Amino acid sequence: MKIINTSTEKVYLVEILSVEDEDFNSLGEERYFFDWETERNQEIYKLQIVGSKDILGLMSLERIPEEWRIHVRLLTVSKENKGRNKQFDNITGNLLAYAAKLAVKDYGELACISLRPKTQIADHYIRKYGMTVTGLTLSIEVPDILTLINTYDHE
Amino acid sequence: MNNNKNNMDIKDAEYGVDSRYKSKRERELDGAALMEERLRRMRNLSRDQIIRAKLLQLKLQMEDYLKKPIYDKRNYFSEFVASYVDIIYSKRSNFAKDIDITPVMLSQVINNHREPKDEFIMKLMIHSEKAYKNVCSFHKKTWYQVYFHEKICDTMSNQDNWRPKIEKHVKISEFINE
Repeated sequence: MKIINTSTEKVYLVEILSVEDEDFNSLGEERYFFDWETERNQEIYKLQIVGSKDILGLMSLERIPEEWRIHVRLLTVSKENKGRNKQFDNITGNLLAYAAKLAVKDYGELACISLRPKTQIADHYIRKYGMTVTGLTLSIEVPDILTLINTYDHE
Repeated sequence: MNNNKNNMDIKDAEYGVDSRYKSKRERELDGAALMEERLRRMRNLSRDQIIRAKLLQLKLQMEDYLKKPIYDKRNYFSEFVASYVDIIYSKRSNFAKDIDITPVMLSQVINNHREPKDEFIMKLMIHSEKAYKNVCSFHKKTWYQVYFHEKICDTMSNQDNWRPKIEKHVKISEFINE
């Protein structure tokens, strides 16, 4: 998986790992927008450039096996990667693709990931990631979930 | 004012999403509505789309297996081979024919009655390159890695069985004083 520096266009390999207890010391709301402490008992993943300890993106997940679904509870990029002047591109895409890989690994052709963004930004997720809308929920399933994975996972 | 706020939200759409359900009830209602729609869409999946999803699932499971040592009695290599064949073929004998081996030999490998020869794994590697070509990236060394990972895990976890017998035939007569 890769992210791109928006000013130099240099490509960096990234890894997505489980958040460790010690990481919570640096997950302040100022840089990561949400109170991640409240997610401590959830399944949380962090995105880092390979060889770096700096966390550029975070995501917490809820597995719902009876529905063959993984629900994205919280997702964010670090402050400097927000908005028009963001430092790196593709952080959110890589995190979503990672959740998609977990879902396909466990549920195969039945796999689904879901999230519920605000109405104003739902369109962005529909257009950029090929998500489908049902009520307030966006989801991605086979075959589009495979496209999402292949777009971001080049290993 | 409201428009400005909307513009800001769209511009920063990727900074974050808070999708947490407020209650179990909310999650269940959401799940029920979503499931109804998903089942409708699933009915329209083609055989080809299902095979692609299953092949990707198998690849992800093999990658996951390679990340950790697993010490149990299962034979993961043969289980993965069986899954691979069953995803693509209606009959295992058709796969045997495609890689020019006898159905008996394939059955023996899948059922752990015989060790796969090098040639079998090489054929599997080439077959997978073709099968995965338009599905997802699939590293050609994956089958070998799974096979040897299994060997390493088995050997390490079964030392009680093989070590007493083998150790009798091992000594160091030079360089190091025992």
